[in-house]
Amino acid sequence: MTTIESDICIIGSGITGILAAERLSELADADIVMVEAGSRSTPFSNRPEQRRRFIAYGENPWKDDHLDDQGGYGLMYRSMVVGGCAMHWDGACPRFSPEDFRQRSMYGVGTDWPISYDDVEPYYQDFEERIGVAGEQGPPEYDPRSRPYPLPPLPLSYNLIQLREWGANAGIPFWTQPWAKATEPYRGRAGCQRCDTCHVCPTGAKYTPDVTLDRLIDDGGLRLISGTLVRRLEVDDASTHITRAVAADRHAPDESVEFRATTFILAGGYAWSPHLLLLSSSSQFPNGLANSSGLVGKYMTGHPYMSAQIELPLELYPGIFSTSSLLSRMHARPGPLDRYVRHDLRIWNTTVERQARFRDATGVLQFGDDVMDDWRARTKQATARVRGYIDIIPDRDSTLGLDASARNQWGDPLPRIEFRDAPESVALRDHTHETMRTIFEHMARAGNGRVLSTFRSTTMEHPGGGCRMGEDPETSVTDSFGRTHDHDNLFVIGAPTLVSGGCANGTPTFCALSLRSAEEIARAFPSR
Amino acid sequence: MSTGRRDFLKTSTAAVTAAGLGGCERGDRSVSEPRTPRRLHRELLRAIGDAVLPGAIGADGREKAIVAFEVWLQEFTPNAELVHPYGGWEVAYGPEDPSPRWAEQLDDLERLARQRSMASFGELSRDDRRTLIADAIEDAGPGFPTPAEAQHVAVALMAHYFRSTEATNQVYGVAINKLQCRVITTAGEKPPALGG
Repeated sequence: MTTIESDICIIGSGITGILAAERLSELADADIVMVEAGSRSTPFSNRPEQRRRFIAYGENPWKDDHLDDQGGYGLMYRSMVVGGCAMHWDGACPRFSPEDFRQRSMYGVGTDWPISYDDVEPYYQDFEERIGVAGEQGPPEYDPRSRPYPLPPLPLSYNLIQLREWGANAGIPFWTQPWAKATEPYRGRAGCQRCDTCHVCPTGAKYTPDVTLDRLIDDGGLRLISGTLVRRLEVDDASTHITRAVAADRHAPDESVEFRATTFILAGGYAWSPHLLLLSSSSQFPNGLANSSGLVGKYMTGHPYMSAQIELPLELYPGIFSTSSLLSRMHARPGPLDRYVRHDLRIWNTTVERQARFRDATGVLQFGDDVMDDWRARTKQATARVRGYIDIIPDRDSTLGLDASARNQWGDPLPRIEFRDAPESVALRDHTHETMRTIFEHMARAGNGRVLSTFRSTTMEHPGGGCRMGEDPETSVTDSFGRTHDHDNLFVIGAPTLVSGGCANGTPTFCALSLRSAEEIARAFPSR
Repeated sequence: MSTGRRDFLKTSTAAVTAAGLGGCERGDRSVSEPRTPRRLHRELLRAIGDAVLPGAIGADGREKAIVAFEVWLQEFTPNAELVHPYGGWEVAYGPEDPSPRWAEQLDDLERLARQRSMASFGELSRDDRRTLIADAIEDAGPGFPTPAEAQHVAVALMAHYFRSTEATNQVYGVAINKLQCRVITTAGEKPPALGG
């Protein structure tokens, strides 16, 4: 068995782990090791070519970005790779709203977080400055900030300029979605060239965690051990301290590796962090580690969405800058007499009903100029997509468990996630959808258009939870810094600690919480 | 059906091609070298192109579209891992090499032409060629699939063109130039007229 010792062992190399490592390296005189089960994916130099093949063939531009035997039922996205999911994120960076942290005290539903928006706000700002977020200050009542975004916003496209006016006519203020895309050169990254394939950015304008990771490695800030799957954590018999993480070398499956450290940080995201705690059960901890509350793998959260395609009498040109969009938080704050319906709104220009088609409206096959004429006639109208992420209250039995019927090559059971809304959200579901349909119809009328279709998602986006934070060890897994109540040298950072999933993309919140955790963890080590 | 990131991923996968890519493109191509040469019968493919591609783009435009399709086919990788759709955990793989099937379909069209008209497919009138093609693709759906998913070579050729940057520009009459890398400062401007 190989032994690797450090002061701090971070398990998982996604964006939360990497940014926490960066902050720790700034504050603490500590030796940091990061363990990652996956490998390196497509290097920057090859991303333009992978973009080309992605466009032409739909191929996955991120090579070796997952492990075949590390999947799981109900997971959102197959990713186990150095840099994590944010290697191929789109970079949307909205913050949660102050209301997200105070559901119980403001609206009488759900559970208040042990911290407020004001507690997290400095860390949102820190996150935005580290990765270079381009954004526009929205109306302050909906978009509270202490300082401006570090980068000017992405310019509105010709299409979005008109769609923002449409939104204003409907009485809904929209502003540009904040993005982790450099609108001008930023900390070694090139400026955005609106290539419209943010999934794989060929210029490096979009932030990917490998930028920070490579800098940390080059500076000696951490050691990365990739291709190594941590299978369990072990506890000192005489205390509740975590003593080591036991891993398998994926390139030599019969070889074990142990990581010994003073502090362990789980940064495996909403799936793999609670999964590892459950996998680490023993006679001393039969329900897994950090689980005296029985809440590891419970209160899994996220948000579904509802969307509409709305036809408008506008002259728009799909493809100018398709990935940019408009954002409104107007409906993230229910009035005092309203029922608890919270959602954001986003607008894009889309090609729905504005694409070439093989058969005309009567079903007759078309060739050549007839295809063009049919297509051209339909470009006289435009289509906007409007979508709202819906805040739901997670049920206690919204669960990540171990699936004994699906195991990896070492025989470890894989995760199985089954999301469930709390009764108050179930009771509001029809009302929520009807409320959103009414908004879509109102917007369509305001633009002299019509709703072409609506859609309700059946999956949770931006999942979190499974190790929810709180002050009471009986009703939570960690404190607000991610320190597990049961093991004072074991932290869970990022998505798993969420109390609720909000109605905005999760990464800024995951990362802000992780940066806050890093400051707390650093206190145990000599300062730099 | 929703759109946004999911549909963008779907639609952009079929948007064509090297001609639409901007100056930021760089990097090696070693990972995508074609494994085996794939060529369809040159004259028959052009006879199809003349029948199914727009007359308005002219002979040069059709030839350019056919060459782009040939290059696309040449660089196709069978059974490639596809981009993971957001919202699902399963890994998907693309189709096998369609060129043997497409080559047979070209032969079928030629054989049918000779059976029905005692002439080569390329010698038939455009309408007669369209009739033969329509008979061969009567099960085709309402929209264009990705080229690789097309069951018939005529559908693949049309899908490849009608999903392209060039076709979009033609139909809107302006240089939208989707998926082309360029400065962001001009994003707010109305796209310029073609040739302007």
